[in-house]
Amino acid sequence: MLLRFKRSSMLLLTMSLALVAILAGCGSNPESSAAGTAKDPSIRSITMSWPRDVGVMNPHTYNPSQLFAQSMLYDPLVHYGENGKLEPALAESWTISKDGKVYTFKLRPNVKFSDGSAFNAAIVKKNFDAVMLHKDTHSWLGLVGVIAKTEAVNDLTFRMTLTEPYYPALQDLSVVRPFRFLGAAGFPNNGDTATGIKEPVGTGAWVLADYKQDEYAVFKRNPHYWGKAPALDQVTVKIIPDAETRVAAFEKGELDLIYGEGVISLDAFKQLRDNKDYVTKLSDPVGTRSLLLNSSNPKLADIRVRQALQQGFNKQAMVEGITSGLEEPADTILSKNYPYTNVDIETAGNTYNVQHAQALLDEAGWKLPAGGTVREKDGQPLELELIYDKTDPIQKAMAETIQAEWSAIGVKVNLTGLELTVQIKRLKANDFDLYFWYNYGAPYDPHSFINVVAKKGFGIAETLSAVPNKAALDQQIREALSSTDETKRQELYHSILSTLNEQSAIVPISYVKKTAVYHKNIASFAFPANRDENAFFGITLSQP
Amino acid sequence: MIGYIGRRLLAVVPIVLLATLVTFALIHISPVDPAEAYLTAAHIYPTEEVLAQKRHEFGLDQPLIVQYVHTLGRLVQLDFGTSYLTNQPVWEEIVSRFPATAELALSSILLSIVVSVPLGIAAAVYRNGWIDMLSRIIAYLGASIPQFWLGYLLIFFFAVKLDWLPVEGRGDWTNLVLPTITLSLVLIALYTRLLRASMLDQMQATYVQYGRMRGLHERTIMLRHVLKMALMPLISSIGMNVGRLLTGTIIVEQVFSWPGLGRYFVEAIFNRDIPVIQCYVLLAACLFIICNLLVDLIQLWMDPRISLKGQTEQ
Repeated sequence: MLLRFKRSSMLLLTMSLALVAILAGCGSNPESSAAGTAKDPSIRSITMSWPRDVGVMNPHTYNPSQLFAQSMLYDPLVHYGENGKLEPALAESWTISKDGKVYTFKLRPNVKFSDGSAFNAAIVKKNFDAVMLHKDTHSWLGLVGVIAKTEAVNDLTFRMTLTEPYYPALQDLSVVRPFRFLGAAGFPNNGDTATGIKEPVGTGAWVLADYKQDEYAVFKRNPHYWGKAPALDQVTVKIIPDAETRVAAFEKGELDLIYGEGVISLDAFKQLRDNKDYVTKLSDPVGTRSLLLNSSNPKLADIRVRQALQQGFNKQAMVEGITSGLEEPADTILSKNYPYTNVDIETAGNTYNVQHAQALLDEAGWKLPAGGTVREKDGQPLELELIYDKTDPIQKAMAETIQAEWSAIGVKVNLTGLELTVQIKRLKANDFDLYFWYNYGAPYDPHSFINVVAKKGFGIAETLSAVPNKAALDQQIREALSSTDETKRQELYHSILSTLNEQSAIVPISYVKKTAVYHKNIASFAFPANRDENAFFGITLSQP
Repeated sequence: MIGYIGRRLLAVVPIVLLATLVTFALIHISPVDPAEAYLTAAHIYPTEEVLAQKRHEFGLDQPLIVQYVHTLGRLVQLDFGTSYLTNQPVWEEIVSRFPATAELALSSILLSIVVSVPLGIAAAVYRNGWIDMLSRIIAYLGASIPQFWLGYLLIFFFAVKLDWLPVEGRGDWTNLVLPTITLSLVLIALYTRLLRASMLDQMQATYVQYGRMRGLHERTIMLRHVLKMALMPLISSIGMNVGRLLTGTIIVEQVFSWPGLGRYFVEAIFNRDIPVIQCYVLLAACLFIICNLLVDLIQLWMDPRISLKGQTEQ
């Protein structure tokens, strides 16, 4: 019996060891794979990390594809450059009819997809048709709602006709998805890319050379790329979901670069910034962290209360203290690096001033009762709820700071941490007092921002519903979006942004920035102007 | 025996049914709408038009009972549906991630057995000696160190500082070392103490005294008789842990970027990817049932006194 037991145990142990060995053999990493030439010194390559798998590389769909990776393979007609300058990409030039409805694009000649097939107006039309087949899915993008028809006029001329003038059409064409172009070989037989693609064939600077789901993706230069080739031959992206592990892999030298928004903790960034072996870099603002003061709440309907709250906390100290310089205190709702937003707006009234804040509250009728700590008016306490994303440590810290600072001026704030989706649900339902909100960033703004100010269903128009002259503000926004007169549009933007600043229903807190940390084998790194584009064109390596 | 196995496997049906019902109820009690979660993950603002379209696409605009019946209908045909997030068949995605999880689970179980069995025996035989003290220290450490922290510590010392092993990812055997140790420490602590206690208990049994009276060598008594009986509770515990490990080890997979089922499941929960959650829960239920059955069969084989009805024959 014992002998049998021993034999069986040994057999089981041996089989288990063999199984582990076989399974371990099934594993792979980019260094050991066929495409893994990352350690070859003759190849100019970098390895970076990303928190999620790069996805299926379909240019027309969203989850789980990652924007930076889609932008590596697929090009737009129009490129979004520094300060919102729209530059030719696959479209060499374009004309816009006087009524602002017809856009005619002259396509760049001799452009080829990564499989060698030709890029022309017919394939542009085919891609537009595939996108417009699922108009509802893409309805968040303003352009989709106004496209009347598209035509391949000739081999290198593509025409897009709109139902009404929509000035941000070109900006919408520069976004990473859905208006980018898949080669004919990638289309499924039914032509509907929403059901999947056969292979990722694009005109972009890169091709996907090797990929293992949830582990890595290796991109190599597209030999048919039409533009100036990037300085790198290869980019390996390792999928590392944990921020601390990412930092450890970087310190060990397994990664050359970590970049993105919120990709490492504040503490880790500070630690790496202080280490002379590494280089850290911050981008220009990619968005604004604002606090919505819901004017449809009777307590916040009075502009004096909103202004008092804006003046009642030390934004400078809070932002610097909590983000350690990773974010910059914001004076205006939109930073000045978008089109039409580089204007002078009077922000002196937003300055931190506790005495003035208290005086404004007194003036508005919110008085401190004898011996009390919370102001009251008509028997109602000045008590508000601030909802925040419970997974975001910066929001939580800021919420606690604001709670403490407003307490000193007699305003009670109750904090509620929620899941992001629940937060958005409450925003849409106008079921909140105070809410951390972010604008969309380039290339979506400023037009997407003013659109949600006017259009109900996004929570912002509802927040502003009690501000005086809301109807006039909405009319200005409609005019700005449809105007074909550049000067008039600029004036309208100036007026809209000034009004919003005066009303203090959207309180700018900080400008959010992307971070990059890299080893000194990378000589230069530049953030792209488009928030969602990849950064690999801006990378050069040090000479070996 | 075959009838017994058949009966146990038939018990899978009501358990699976219950698992589908509980999972379905829990998902729908949650205030998060899966269509909204999908759009949030895709960085698309959930306008009413897009939400309605997504809900229709996912079948979430149907009455709850219709959704549940539809789900059951699919499951009966072993169709586990398509992931909301990736638009790929769920079963294919699970199958592609299972080898990574199985590799880590098996290596962890093997390491914990290889370490804890001799350590547990020695701790019992040399009770209160230095080896027993060592086993106690390991038990305290295993029970008290959080796995994520242990993982980070191991990465810091063995990967970053000493540069002996890779930080993360799945590749050759070197990638397996740190996650295996992280997972195994708690198991080693548990198994060592369990085996020690069980050994000490058996060492008091009358058959041991009888063996000694018969003049049997102490080693023979320990290895041939005591160990065999003392292994029973250990086998039950291993069975439970194999089931748990085979369904993914969320924290360790996250810390070591291990592309297994745990990470996949966590992402599915965050994104309310209902087909994935349902398939995972069913898989977990089936794995636990099978592991328990295997444990029972092994114990039956090792100790024929245990009858198939679960009673000890007198």
